[in-house]
Amino acid sequence: MEIDTETVLKIARLSRIKINDTDSSDIQKDLNRIVEFVKKLSEIDVNGVSEFNFGETHLEDMRQDSVTIDDSADDVLKNTKSKNQDFFTVPKIVE
Amino acid sequence: MNLTELGIKDLRELLNNKEVSATELTNAFIRNIEESSKLNAFIEKTFDKALMQAAEADRIIGTESQRSLCGIPLGIKDLFCCKDVKTQAASAILENFIPPYESTVTQKIWNEQAIMLGKLNMDEFAMGSSNETSTYGSAINPWRSSASDDFLTPGGSSGGSSAAVAANLCAGATGTDTGGSIRQPASFTGTVGLKPTYGRCSRWGIIAFASSFDQAGPITKNVTDNAILLKAMSGFDPLDSTSAKIEVPDYEKELGKNIKGLRVGLAKEYSLQKGDSEAKKKLEQIISLLETMGAEIFEVSLPHTEFALPTYYVLAPAEASSNLARYDGVRYGHRANLDKNDTIKDLYEKTRSEGFGTEVKRRILIGTYVLSSGYYDAYYKRAQKVRNLIKNDFDKVFKKVDLILTPTTPTSAFPLGSKGTQDPVEMYMNDIFTVPANLAGLPALSLPVGLDELGLPLGVQLIGNNWQEPLILNTAFNLEDALGFGSSPKNWWA
Repeated sequence: MEIDTETVLKIARLSRIKINDTDSSDIQKDLNRIVEFVKKLSEIDVNGVSEFNFGETHLEDMRQDSVTIDDSADDVLKNTKSKNQDFFTVPKIVE
Repeated sequence: MNLTELGIKDLRELLNNKEVSATELTNAFIRNIEESSKLNAFIEKTFDKALMQAAEADRIIGTESQRSLCGIPLGIKDLFCCKDVKTQAASAILENFIPPYESTVTQKIWNEQAIMLGKLNMDEFAMGSSNETSTYGSAINPWRSSASDDFLTPGGSSGGSSAAVAANLCAGATGTDTGGSIRQPASFTGTVGLKPTYGRCSRWGIIAFASSFDQAGPITKNVTDNAILLKAMSGFDPLDSTSAKIEVPDYEKELGKNIKGLRVGLAKEYSLQKGDSEAKKKLEQIISLLETMGAEIFEVSLPHTEFALPTYYVLAPAEASSNLARYDGVRYGHRANLDKNDTIKDLYEKTRSEGFGTEVKRRILIGTYVLSSGYYDAYYKRAQKVRNLIKNDFDKVFKKVDLILTPTTPTSAFPLGSKGTQDPVEMYMNDIFTVPANLAGLPALSLPVGLDELGLPLGVQLIGNNWQEPLILNTAFNLEDALGFGSSPKNWWA
């Protein structure tokens, strides 16, 4: 199996998703199944093939660097469960 | 005839002739929705707003200010942010999220004076093919098999949209399609679903799943309605740099032209397996119908088709893992309760662990894996190259033919709980015919063409080259006209 227990824990850490021991083996099994499925891509010779893109980008079409959205702090803060005045609050980061 | 059985075009006529008011019409749909709780299609109802919009429409109809969807009641997939309306992408992590802004596509629809009945059920973050990953529980297909009373999937991810249109809960609905999420539900419910060319509709305000695939589109009762709603949804948006600066045609005006000389390709790689005999028969019937209409049929080859699903299941999760990094419990949605000594990392990890469902976590994890150091080249980079090969296949074929005809799905709607419980890949296989168009960014439509031996709808898919929505819609219109698919599900839910 390509994805071992340690790898599951590593990608869970990178994804900021906590997984407990009971779920871990199910997740490992599912991830290996998906990896086995997408491994089919290794059958193709992609030498000299460029990566996909949707074509040209139009840099001249970029918007002016100016404020176009009139969200008020009150509106934006309505959706948070933890705020202090006009700020979002989180657990203490610096000692 | 019951008003709610009519589509957008017919209702427009009744409204314009003042044979019915927008308020009466809205009330009729509200009654249907209130009687449809068994279908679990509407997950947020906005009836007060709807009745206000209807009163306004009644004031406007017949005046110079009247626009194309004036007084037409619609349902909106829960992936579209609507200002001051709870929007969760059917996920617990967006618990009670009230957007302070409106998505461009829905704003365009309201600008055309349509009426909003509410938000429609879907797979969580549009990740699923059966609606079963929704935090609200699955929407139920109004169609039932003649062989059993099992609840069937309305398809996914836009399953609430397809169920609501098929069950006459709204005149039309918005959907989004990342790997088949408009076309497969349309096929399972006897409705018409179109995924437009990538860039046709703005993605601004649509909760992101896989940004290089996501595209909004209409689900409707018939092809004409689809053309009407597509026009309202389409167009360039300065807020989405991937939306195209290409004029939006009047799709409805393109309908009814004859299709003599149309070159239709049948891709040999899109063959149905044994046991799908009814679907095969229907496809053959469509082929002869097209020939009768003067179209020419060619066998074509898209040799990299077998790599489409593996490519999709590397790239879409990779993009999802990045897009869904924003759900951190800080600014909106669910926030985990913390213990006294918990750090900000615990806040992130606990919130995401509690808020995301199993399939979404799976895709974030696999996406993180294929993007991680040591695996990026083998998976992500390689898949981007294969995506190019798949696009090149289509480019070559579209030099020979105008459209490609395929089945939309391998089977008709399947019972809820019957797929993917042991093996996630089993569910992924459902999108085998729909995913290639998303990889290549091409427009594709699912048209209902009849019922199978279980009495369930079957659809065919028409894939066109970029910006060929008018040709797709006109061909579908000709087929619809000749087939007269007028079937609707028997009402068992009210």
